[in-house]
This record gives sequence, structure tokens and C-alpha cells, in this order.
Amino acid sequence: MSATVTEKQRVIFENVSKFYGEVLGVNRVSLSIPPGITGLVGPNGSGKTTLMNLMVGLLRPSRGRISVLGMDSQRPEEFFRHVGYSTQYDAFPPGLNGSQFIRSYLRVHGFGAAEAEAMTWKALERVGLTEAAGRKVAGYSKGMRQRVKLAQAICHQPSVLVLDEPLNGLDPMARAEVISLFRELADGGLHVIVSSHILHEVDLISDQVVLIHGGYVVAEGDIANVRDEMEEEHPAQVSIRCDRPALLASRVFAQDSVMEARIDDDGKGVLVRTRDADRFHLLLNQVVLENGLTIEAVAPADADVNAVYQYLIGSNGEKS
Amino acid sequence: MSETAASLASPTPAAPAGLPWRRWASQAGAVMRLDLRKGFRRPVGLLLLAAAPIAIALIRVVFSAHAVHERADVAEGTNFYAWMYQILILRLELFLAGVAVFGNLIRREVLDRTLHYYFLSPIRRELLVAAKYLTGVLVTFTLFGISTVISFVLAYLPHDWTAVSPFLFHGPGLRQLGSYLLVTFLACVGYGAVFLALGFFFKSPAVPALGMFGWESIHFLLPPLLKQASVIHYLQSLCPVPIPEGPLAVLSDAPSPWVSVVGLLVLAVILVAVSGWRIRRMEISYDES
Ligand SMILES: Nc1ncnc2c1ncn2[C@@H]1O[C@H](COP(=O)(O)OP(=O)(O)OP(=O)(O)O)[C@@H](O)[C@H]1O
Ligand SMILES: [Mg+2]
Repeated sequence: MSATVTEKQRVIFENVSKFYGEVLGVNRVSLSIPPGITGLVGPNGSGKTTLMNLMVGLLRPSRGRISVLGMDSQRPEEFFRHVGYSTQYDAFPPGLNGSQFIRSYLRVHGFGAAEAEAMTWKALERVGLTEAAGRKVAGYSKGMRQRVKLAQAICHQPSVLVLDEPLNGLDPMARAEVISLFRELADGGLHVIVSSHILHEVDLISDQVVLIHGGYVVAEGDIANVRDEMEEEHPAQVSIRCDRPALLASRVFAQDSVMEARIDDDGKGVLVRTRDADRFHLLLNQVVLENGLTIEAVAPADADVNAVYQYLIGSNGEKS
Repeated sequence: MSETAASLASPTPAAPAGLPWRRWASQAGAVMRLDLRKGFRRPVGLLLLAAAPIAIALIRVVFSAHAVHERADVAEGTNFYAWMYQILILRLELFLAGVAVFGNLIRREVLDRTLHYYFLSPIRRELLVAAKYLTGVLVTFTLFGISTVISFVLAYLPHDWTAVSPFLFHGPGLRQLGSYLLVTFLACVGYGAVFLALGFFFKSPAVPALGMFGWESIHFLLPPLLKQASVIHYLQSLCPVPIPEGPLAVLSDAPSPWVSVVGLLVLAVILVAVSGWRIRRMEISYDES
């Protein structure tokens, strides 16, 4: 870690614990997160949302101290000029359409009508939602709701973006667009903190990864090396939905990076286990181009990250 | 601002220039517009409540041949309105509207899981709660102020204009209407603040509402000292035409109008401040609901 980066440039957790009555949310978390994309990864119930809510002050720590670029979340009037948060909660103020939703939020910030209008459309454009802006948010699809929440998080140009499962529900194309938006923002010096319960979904795009399990942070930092090692023992799984799965399976199985290619029960897709996800994706592109396959979706299928934790923490991953 | 995150970080738009008061006003305005838009889109229950006294006064107009004995005597209209206002409008409707509107200002946002949209904005939470309270006062006073005026006018409609005109314009008529409007306003302000604050201490507004309703209903039986701890004590004292409280009532000196008005306003300020203090400590935890 560089000594030049000060507290004012980092998101810092010092020995933070949060209990919901008797229930453990997170325990003794210490983190120091630099700018760039940070992936916060853990299975359901591991404490990702709790950690993010603590970060932005929707929850108060039972113990410990949190500082976001030196700011105190208990002074929202200052804090939320610099922080944007897209929550996991999928509820919206009733009766508003996409642009009204963003505009009202900016007006609550105190921006004037004209300024809020311009910022609204800029944000909607960045997430590719201008066309649906006039429709009621309540009628949006899951992917559109994710995007309008993202627009809300970025519309006031914050320095810290906290995004709870922002890729959940996005199709592969939207996912790629959103990921490149994260990259762009992070390259501009922002903190982009993204949670996911799928390690393979975020470790490729993250500059650093925080792994959380049972309320404890079990690993933190650049895990590229860990991942390489891990793939030896725990191959990545990729699910591909396409028109000619048998052809795809036979082509990719010939490659030595692929350990297994199994056709889905409904005959409309292939599940591939691979030691090298990067190489596999290149291979997939090649096969698709050569054979003119029609791909519906490509998604990591490692929903069960427990395997990863077992590897990382050398236990069965039970809460202690 | 010394070297803070703001100066280090990427282009964060400057806050609108000017005193914080101006920004607070524009933020409060934004909260109020948003709340009006989403919170009171179809206030059917409130509209029915506000329409009830108008309907009753109208029925009296239609059946005036039976309902009104002395057309030349406006005192009959005055008496009718005094009863209807104090029993129906003040004790029942304004109380219920206070529970329904102010008890739900925050609670509905928690049930809808939308409170975090406000909590994620750079607005002081005290300001948020004050803006929501003002929205409630605006809505309830608009509806019940109109209801107060229309039903007042209807109360005198069956009477001869030759008697009503001097009563209104040269007698106490308009002053009485003014007093009723003041009571309606203070009831919105007072009950509103009470139920806003109670909402931070009780999960469901029904429990404190029932308790409070009981307390306010037996007000007339309470000894003078305890009377002072009820909202209706002050509101009732401001009503221009007293109605008898029955043989069981414990008599006490009515507070002076200034004590009542200032007292209710101070009570409201204190209760909104308590709400501000509570909301600062509030956490978002939708799961229990
Ligand atoms: N409001 C609450 N009351 C009680 N317990 C809670 C509450 N919110 C979360 N928890 C508990 O805290 C732990 C962490 O939950 P959290 O929502 O932070 O996990 P998560 O990693 O975000 O899960 P998911 O992937 O399902 O979103 C869980 O055991 C959960 O049951
Ligand atoms: Mg979560």
C-alpha cells in the first residue's frame, strides 16, 4: 500500500461490528479501500448489504469507526454530495416515471430546475435509459430498474459509488455496457464499490476484491493470483444459452482449458467447466464467429461460492 | 472547506450558491412537491371525511322545512354549526385526519421501502421531517379549511338573507368563521405534530391513536390540571360558540386565547423537534415489516 494515499482518499472501516439485536450482521471488519473498482463478494446472507448500508450511514455500527474519504455519514447534507448508492431494495416511490424519479432526487439535493433537468438526461443517457424515461418506473423490467437505480446513484457526479448487486438481472449486453461504465468512472478516480454473490462476475473487472463470509472479511486485496491458483482446483463454470448447443459443446471440448461441456437438460444451452475463464471466453468468441452461432446469454454459473471460500479459508465456511 | 474529499475528488457540482436558508427552502420545496405527488395522489378517505359536514349541512338545507324552525333567527344556524363543528369536525374528523396523514408520513415510506431515497440525499433529516410535516399541514388544512367554510355557509343558507346579512357583515358572523378556521388550522398543526412524533415511538399508529382518543374524549371529566395536558382543551377554548358539556363536566377556567394559540404552536415546534431528533438516529431496516 502506498504511503501517500491518505484517509481522505480511502474508505476506511476500523474494527466495525453490526448486530441486529442478537443476529450478527458483520463482525470486526477492518478495511481500507483505495480508488478504483472494488468487488465485494460473498454468498447470500454474508453481510454485503449490511456492510454497504453501514458505509453510507443507513445503519450505524454497533462498534467501530467508519470514514468515507474523511467524511462522516451522520452528516448527510455533506456526505451525499460525494456519495451515490444504488441499493438492493427494489421499491420505488409510486407514480413516478424514469426522468421524474431522477429529477425529483436532484431537486431534493437542492439543484435548480434547469440544472436538475440537464443532469437527469445526462445520467439517463449514461445508463441507456433515455427511451424509457417517460414510462412509469413501477412498470420497468428488472434490468431497467437496475439501470434507473444506477442513474440515480451517478446523477450528481459523486466521488464514491456504492452499488449493491448492480449486475443482477442485466442481460449480457447491458452487463458489458454497465461494466465499461464502471471502468470509465474508476479510471476517472472514483471509488466504485460493487457487490455480487458471484466471484467470477466481479473479479475480472475489479482492481481489488473483498471476500466476505458469515459476517467476516475473509480475504482482501488483489486476488488475481489467488484466482489463478484457485482455478486449478475449482474450475469456473460458464453457462451459454444458444441455438446449436451440441455443436458448441463439441468444438469447445476439444480445447485443453475446458474440463467439461455438458448440454443443458432442455437442450438449449451448454454448461462449461473451465480452468481458465479468460481463455475460454476468447475461444467462445472464435467458435461463435466461425460457426455463425446465435448466442442468447452467457453467464457465470458459479452461484455456489462456498467452494471458493472453502479453498480460501481452508474450512467448510461455517459461521464461527 | 480545507482539503477535503470534495476538492480532491472528481467534478462534483457545486451546491447551489447562497445562504443555507435558501438551499433548505428549495430542498424542503422539493420534498413537499414529491410527497404531494406520491403521498396524496388519491386521498379518497380524506376527501370523504372533509365532505361529511358539507353533506350534513346540505341535508339540513334540503329538509329545511322540517329541520329549521325559525328562519328569521340566525341563532339556530349558529347553534347547529357549533355542535357540528365541535363534535364532528374538531373531535372526530380533524383527529382522524391527524392520525391518518401524520401517523403515516414516515411509516408509509418504511412500508413502501422508499424512505432510503430521502436518506440518501444530501438533506438534513430534521429538514426532511419538517418538510413532510408541512406537507401534512398543507394538505389537511386545505381540505378541512374548505370544508369548514362551506359547511359554515350552508348552515345559514336556510335562514332569511335579511337576518343573515347583518349577522355576517355587521355582527359576529365573519369573526366566528375566522375563529373556526383558526381552530381548524391549529388542530392540523397540533394533532399533526402529536401523531408525527408518536409515529417514532410506536410501530402502528392505531395504538397511540386509540389511547389519545380516549384521553381527549374524557377531557371534560378531567380535573383542571390534567385538562391542560390535552390538545382539545386549548382548541375548544378558541371555538367562538361554546356548547354545553353536560352535567358531569368538571368546570375550569378556559385558557386565554393567546395562551391557547401560542401554547399549541410551541407544542408543535417541540414535537417536530423531537421527531427530528428521532429521525437522525433512525436506521433503515425494512425487514421486520
Ligand atoms: N433488518 C435485519 N434484521 C435482522 N437481521 C438482519 C437484518 N438485515 C440483515 N440481517 C441478517 O444479517 C446477515 C447479513 O445480511 P445481509 O443482507 O447484509 O447479507 P447479503 O450478503 O447482502 O445477502 P444477499 O446476497 O442475500 O443480499 C444475515 O444473516 C441476515 O439475516
Ligand atoms: Mg444483500
